[in-house]
Amino acid sequence: MAQYRRSTEKPILSVRDLVVKFKLRGKTLTAIRNISLDVYKGESLAIVGESGSGKSVFTKTFMGLLDNNGWIDNGEILFGGYDLAKFKNEKEWTKVRGKRIAMVFQDPMTSLNPLKTVGKQIQEAILLHSNISKAGAKQQAIKLLTDVGIDDAERRYKQYPHEFSGGMRQRVVIAIAIACNPEILICDEPTTALDVTIQAQILDLIKALQKKFELTVIYITHDLGVVADVANRIAVMYAGDIVELGMCEEVFFDPKHPYTWALLSSLPQLGIKGEDLYTIKGTPPNLYQTIKGDAFAPRNPQALEVDFVARPPYFEVTPTHKAKTWLLDPRAPKVEPPEYIRRLREQGVTFNG
Amino acid sequence: MDMVKYCLGRLGRALITMAIVLSIVFLLMRLLPVEGYFGDRSDAMNPKVKEQVLKSLGLLDPWYVQLKNFWVDLFHGDLGRSIVYRKNVPVMDIILPKAKYSFQFGMAALVLEKVIGLPLGVLMARYKGKALDKFGNLYILIINAVPAAVYYLLIQLGGSSLFGVSMLYKPTDPTSWILPTISLSLGGIASTAMWMRRYMVDQMNMDYIKLARAKGMTSSQVSFRHVLRNAFIPMAQSLPASILFTISGSLYVESLYSIPGMGGLLVTAIQRQDNTLVQAMVLIYSAISVCGLLLGDIAMMICDPRIKLTKKGGSR
Repeated sequence: MAQYRRSTEKPILSVRDLVVKFKLRGKTLTAIRNISLDVYKGESLAIVGESGSGKSVFTKTFMGLLDNNGWIDNGEILFGGYDLAKFKNEKEWTKVRGKRIAMVFQDPMTSLNPLKTVGKQIQEAILLHSNISKAGAKQQAIKLLTDVGIDDAERRYKQYPHEFSGGMRQRVVIAIAIACNPEILICDEPTTALDVTIQAQILDLIKALQKKFELTVIYITHDLGVVADVANRIAVMYAGDIVELGMCEEVFFDPKHPYTWALLSSLPQLGIKGEDLYTIKGTPPNLYQTIKGDAFAPRNPQALEVDFVARPPYFEVTPTHKAKTWLLDPRAPKVEPPEYIRRLREQGVTFNG
Repeated sequence: MDMVKYCLGRLGRALITMAIVLSIVFLLMRLLPVEGYFGDRSDAMNPKVKEQVLKSLGLLDPWYVQLKNFWVDLFHGDLGRSIVYRKNVPVMDIILPKAKYSFQFGMAALVLEKVIGLPLGVLMARYKGKALDKFGNLYILIINAVPAAVYYLLIQLGGSSLFGVSMLYKPTDPTSWILPTISLSLGGIASTAMWMRRYMVDQMNMDYIKLARAKGMTSSQVSFRHVLRNAFIPMAQSLPASILFTISGSLYVESLYSIPGMGGLLVTAIQRQDNTLVQAMVLIYSAISVCGLLLGDIAMMICDPRIKLTKKGGSR
């Protein structure tokens, strides 16, 4: 798959300077702070970051699913000739939502309606976006069930969600998501609620479907193990901003941003028996306040003075790799990545294999 | 087949429950002081006459003999005759005509309650926090906070003077139904709307609603195809019992409009120690309660595929 990412290639989805705000208890919170990101056709992009970093909110804007108290304050989301950020009513959104951009949610146990048969719920998605007959939609739904690896689809079609296991339900959710041949599939922590053996199966399924239907997949996760398994490209989010963006190998083995260092250092796989696991000290910044400088600076023991004053721009490391840290400025002092990161680099071969 | 077996089992247990209830009430009635049986003239009666009265009612037998007699009669379908309230009239002849009135008014009110209450709850949930929701909540609050007696009176007085309808119930005048039916339904509208709103809001916050929205459904499609049905299930459970209990009538409304219904009959019967009448009514009410629960459970099972009454344990 895609090893391209040349600047000449046209992105399928392009986010420009996006700002998302929420009104909460009379105060305004800035959840997304000026993100720009291009997503290319056929790639798998993983958005990683800790809880509250804005990963989900960011992708929800692509589908117009922000909660009622949130709004897009600035920026554009260009997709298929539309600017999604300008969409106002549901009628406009139905052209895109579920049809061209679809989403898989975290918890399959609760994301299906318990009172409707699985088949009806898939059929419903098909009928919403195409003009085929009910019988035709049923045939298509049964085929989808087979596509996502559910045996005996004809019988399963008539069953209710409670008759399915967690992994099987997630397959159904995926079937619903791909029902209308979307161009982009957003997977919001698709395996977090599943046990480990099922996780791998679901990821394999998504990968297989991606190939078969030429999907562009955006994963949202805080599980770096998942990322290493599926992603071509990684976007690291912190406090509502993408602080580092690069190809999978670049971010894993040559990270530049101190937050990426810290995040990777906390990987349990890198821990040494008997030693405490690495943890990031402090708490994420308060998004009710305007953040000055680098949002990660207060938690970064090696922060530079400039980190507290000015927000770093993107510095390009390679044409596909960039990071928002002053450390990449030619004037900056040389700061070595921590011990853990060097160890990761050495382990690189095994990690990849 | 399983279902029939299950229902028979439930009915069997229901009969046992009813037998226990009836026996306890029967014995409690026998614990009351005997003076009640002599009516107003008890002071003037001489002891011999009093004994004669008690004997004729069979009250001088030991309690277990009385209980046995009661059960034997009951098995022959004989609930007995009223001993005080309307002397020597079979109790069912007293109860049935009254129950008919209460049932008619109760059903009219129940229909009104659901027809107005359910949509109100649905709309309040859809426009949660908006003016309509606030108005609805205000209504619910007022109905719950103000004693029913107050607004019953207001409706009776205000309604009859403003619209010129009869202040009392007249069998020949259909418009005389209006005020009592409205009075009966106000409380029910409030509680139906409150619960429907609650269940709707609960469902709207569920994850599957997010998925339904992500499929591309508009919020009104989501409301009608997903939320409404799921929110209605808990309401369905109480419906059979509500229908059956309409025959118990309302003491207050029926006396305000002088409707010859069931409301207050049980209280009067107990006060006047009309044992047979009390027993018959307890039998009816306990049967209603038990059947109401059973039917409610069956209604739930029909609406919710997850509920299997016949199988033990969860399915996963």
